[in-house]
Amino acid sequence: MAIGVCRLDLTELAVLRGHAADLPAVARSGGVALPPTGRVAVSASALVLSVRPERWLLLTSPAAAGAGAAAWSERCAGLAAVIDHSSGLAALHLAGPSAREALARGCRLDLAMDAFPPGHAAATSMAQVATILAALPSGLLILTPASTARHLHEWLMGAARPFGLAPLAEITVSTFFGHNDP
Amino acid sequence: MLRIPCPHCGERDETEFRYRGDAGKARPAGDADIAAFATYVYERDNPLGWHVEWWMHVAGCRKLLKLVRHTLSHEIHAVLAPDAEPPFPPREQGR
Amino acid sequence: MPGPARIGRGLLTDGDRPVGFRFDGRELTALAGDTLASALLANGRRLVGRSFKYHRPRGVVTAGPGEPCALVDVIGSAGREPNQLATTLVLREGLVAESQNRWPSLSVDALAINDLLSRFLPAGFYYKTFMSPGWAWERLYEPLIRRAAGLGRLVAPAVEHPAPAETVHDHADVLVVGAGVAGLAAAHRLGACGLKVLLADQDVTLGAGALLEARAIAWREQMAAALARLPTVRWLPSTTVLGAYGHGVFGALETLSPEAEARFGGLRERLRVIRAKRVILATGAPERLIAFPGNDVPGVMLAGAALGYLRRYGVAVGTRPALFVNNDEAYEALFALHGAGVRPAGVIDPRPQSLAMERARSLGVEVHAGAVVASVAGRRAVRGVSVANVGGGHRATLRADCLLMSGGHTPSTALAAQLGAPLKWQEAIAAFTADLAPAVGSVAGAARGVFGLAAAARDGDAAARAIATDLGRAVNSAIAIDLPADPAATPLAELWEVSAPGKAFVDLQNDVTTADVRLAYREGYEHLDHMKRYTTHGMATDQGRTGGLTGAAVLAKARGVPVSRVGALKPRPFAQPVPFAALAGGEVGEHFKPKRRLPLHDWHEAAGATFVRAGLWLRPLVYSGSSGWEPVLAEARAVRSAVGITDVSTLGKIDVQGPDAAKFLDFVYANTFSTLAVGRARYGLMLREDGLVFDDGTTARLAPEHFLVTTTTVNSVAVLEHLEFHLQTVCRELDVLVTDVGDHWAQFAVAGPRSREVLERVVTGVPLSNEAFPFMAAGAATIAGVAGRLFRISFSGELAYEVAVPARHALEVWSALIAAGKPLGIRPYGLDALNTLRIEKGHVTGAELNGNTTADDLGMGRMLKASGDHIGRSLARRAGLLAPDRLQLVGVRPVDATRRLRNGTQLVAASARSTSLGYVTSSTPSAELPGWVGLALVAGGRARIGERLLGVSPVHAETTDIEVVSPHHADAGNTRVRA
Ligand SMILES: [Zn+2]
Repeated sequence: MAIGVCRLDLTELAVLRGHAADLPAVARSGGVALPPTGRVAVSASALVLSVRPERWLLLTSPAAAGAGAAAWSERCAGLAAVIDHSSGLAALHLAGPSAREALARGCRLDLAMDAFPPGHAAATSMAQVATILAALPSGLLILTPASTARHLHEWLMGAARPFGLAPLAEITVSTFFGHNDP
Repeated sequence: MLRIPCPHCGERDETEFRYRGDAGKARPAGDADIAAFATYVYERDNPLGWHVEWWMHVAGCRKLLKLVRHTLSHEIHAVLAPDAEPPFPPREQGR
Repeated sequence: MPGPARIGRGLLTDGDRPVGFRFDGRELTALAGDTLASALLANGRRLVGRSFKYHRPRGVVTAGPGEPCALVDVIGSAGREPNQLATTLVLREGLVAESQNRWPSLSVDALAINDLLSRFLPAGFYYKTFMSPGWAWERLYEPLIRRAAGLGRLVAPAVEHPAPAETVHDHADVLVVGAGVAGLAAAHRLGACGLKVLLADQDVTLGAGALLEARAIAWREQMAAALARLPTVRWLPSTTVLGAYGHGVFGALETLSPEAEARFGGLRERLRVIRAKRVILATGAPERLIAFPGNDVPGVMLAGAALGYLRRYGVAVGTRPALFVNNDEAYEALFALHGAGVRPAGVIDPRPQSLAMERARSLGVEVHAGAVVASVAGRRAVRGVSVANVGGGHRATLRADCLLMSGGHTPSTALAAQLGAPLKWQEAIAAFTADLAPAVGSVAGAARGVFGLAAAARDGDAAARAIATDLGRAVNSAIAIDLPADPAATPLAELWEVSAPGKAFVDLQNDVTTADVRLAYREGYEHLDHMKRYTTHGMATDQGRTGGLTGAAVLAKARGVPVSRVGALKPRPFAQPVPFAALAGGEVGEHFKPKRRLPLHDWHEAAGATFVRAGLWLRPLVYSGSSGWEPVLAEARAVRSAVGITDVSTLGKIDVQGPDAAKFLDFVYANTFSTLAVGRARYGLMLREDGLVFDDGTTARLAPEHFLVTTTTVNSVAVLEHLEFHLQTVCRELDVLVTDVGDHWAQFAVAGPRSREVLERVVTGVPLSNEAFPFMAAGAATIAGVAGRLFRISFSGELAYEVAVPARHALEVWSALIAAGKPLGIRPYGLDALNTLRIEKGHVTGAELNGNTTADDLGMGRMLKASGDHIGRSLARRAGLLAPDRLQLVGVRPVDATRRLRNGTQLVAASARSTSLGYVTSSTPSAELPGWVGLALVAGGRARIGERLLGVSPVHAETTDIEVVSPHHADAGNTRVRA
């Protein structure tokens, strides 16, 4: 099992009242597709996931502070609130056949492959901290508040140890990008 | 332990939710008198049977849910949006 | 064959792998696969412990987890672990165990005098004896009871928490509890339908009852192989389902095999939380005892246990066993021992005749029909039994070295009862059974009173078919149960107790006798639950598995009603004792609670900070390892005289956007925000709906429809929920979105008369003159090249700014600020100095926002808006919350500047010391004034400014003359912040 640290920018789009129907077109103009709640969509330049109704998290390659959010603010003016979480959430990537079994030490969700296949996303709590899980073909992406990231990381290392743990690696978020196929 | 079927996230453990009290009480209008607010804030029914209550999915979608739950059997009869009228509670089973 | 009583091959033992162990100091040898109990019995060891109350000699009674007597201490490198069940403890090389409840040794026990004094130790003895005088409780009774009471003894472990622990979350379509024939058949059927099955069984191997009968062995092996081939069936061996918690949630405790233990770093027990759509309870029907005098002598055990020791471990529990039973099923032990070459002493059966009795006779066994055991000869081991006619009168004396008893089988209804299933009396088996609602699952096999292996297997299969259909699966009818037909059996005859002189136990673990039950009844404890509490019947760790119903039957007889009217003991979780470590799972030590760390945690650490936990956060308290106030005051004085910098990233930050954002804030705050100009910040006070203060903070308007709300560190989670709750209920018409951005922004306060000079060197794009960026200004700024936000707000009372930047840029910005401030004497300050500064200034925090104070109490009554609804508006106007004698915020100082203040010091009138007028909430030595300053809540305090009170701290035996002053100790005119 391998735990990777993933550096990325995170921008949240939250629909303002009455504009749910307008947002997909705006998102398309920004090059992304918006998946339904509980799903992940892959675009050429972003990973988009939704774990809250009418809210989406855009995961993109790191850029200058606030730049991504500012661009989306412009596109979504009057339609959606745009919130920058680039520093607020940390991302870990878990790969390997035992990753789901190890996570069952703290995750209350059913992470069996048929219950949580690639393309699914969920918000839950793990090891007492808030987490967002996204199942990708490469493994599981875990988002957690930056202030609890070290706690979760330490806990994960402990839970994963009996399953064998590869050395820590850094993962570029763009490796998850691809053609839009939600 | 309750397993609450969240309409947005699916069935989740009770521990992911925060109980937010009686959903059968509506906040009085802002100009209502102190007595009306005192009733709203302090007076609580304690029914043996069906209870309409707020649960917020704080670890999930953060949506507020209106549950119709049986206080003895813990059966959850309905999970509704905050503005939905609760359905007429099911008839008491002979317990 | 290690052990003289090992007469054959066991199903579980490996004859080629001897295992050495030590019991009460004696080196003994047994086989791999043995339990400690089978190992002791193989070595002819009968006496394994002393009983709880009377310290009577006791031996092994069962072969499983319901064992009442064979509890031992296991001594390992980590210390002594009490109350381990010898009957389930798998033997390992070098195991060291000791017997319990004996002093000085097992064969000579000083407290066995209790047995002779037993007429003075009746049920309810504690309640009756240790009544009065009251003073004697603490000094005499409690120490006495503590020494005598308790099962085993707990010794502090030599090393702290040596073994890891973990909780695993499991999910299944169906949880099958019990892997006997019914459970095996059910799991097989469900797995064949493609359903996800968890098959949990407390035993180390599959089969349960099928292990005990030779004709079922082949079927069991086929079944085990078939299950192993089904990919959706997972068997959890050595896993006891501890409790049923409704909604398909079950708790289970798994004991790891030595191999798994090594892999998981010494993990011994794993807590499993199982969620399943349906459950099949195939938990079987444990055998029950008969209450007859001497039924606790070592060597008296359940007939099924003797069968188990023979089949599983190849151990004969005696060389001359007698059998005292009331049912045909229990004869299997006799037939098996006979078949292995053991010559029974005889059979005692209250029934006039039965099929099994005839078979015993045909084998040449002496059979006493219509008879009971009236007494047992021997104290530390059975030497013989005295046989009486059912109607009374001595019939015979048998020489025997063990006595195998069976009063029938009691279906395990514990989990079903926890799920709310009503109990139904079954005449044919003289026991209760329970059924589950189809939406929950089924009870199957012996647990439902269906005895006989083939019948139980068919029952398990039928339950599984129904569930599979219910879950929308097609059932393959090609699968058949081909177990040999069950032999015909004569029904049991109810027999609960034998009336004869001597102690007859219904609860072997808590030493409860039939006489105790009758005494409880005579003293008015007619209800089973009252009798249970009065006598402690069924309250031990075995929860009355072997004699629970027997005790109920004795009570029924006393009351003159059928057992069905008395009911059964209510079984509660946990089904077996669970170590606290297993319940805690991985959430112990460092991981007991998550730690929230600041973006600059490592910097603070490297700078020598002492950390303090504030909620979940680790915050720098002071940049010094030494205690005392000097380093704190040095930090605070830097702020007052030059400039300081502190990390306030822990403040809650909530992004509020939308066309109705201002309207929403007007509703959730007691003061007005719609009038706030863009680019300005305002102090806000939130009330609860009951009118008391909830939280405070500074909120800035970043754009017409965009605000940033800050909260106190400890209330950040609660305030966010509070806002979201109201947006989804009372304010659901408003178009507003709130989002937690607390972790995104690192925020630093730069405070002190020279703070502007520091910022001028680092901030670009914003002119910082007093005119251009006045007190309470807020807006976007570039700080050390990073796009962020700048606020001119002050918690210290000095000219001050707070800068906010995305947390990943925290270090570069913080470092730039420190570098720019170096020539000006900047120093970082911690939470202690921050507290000193705010107390001097009279700002409130959690000590004053304590859930009991109103805005007016805190001197902020005028902030409440005059018109418009807001949370808490109505109830804040209650007369009681406006009374002039409420506790109000004031400042306090000791009259003698050399005296200190203490938080919690009560303030009383200097003249009359009678009642408290209030108390000190916060205190600190002052950085600016001589001596200590503090804040206090004092009755009618504002009118008392200038008065003298007496500060009384009884715990410190201190009284101090106190002067009541304005809470604004420093810069009362509030000029510095506007400089
Ligand atoms: Zn949800």
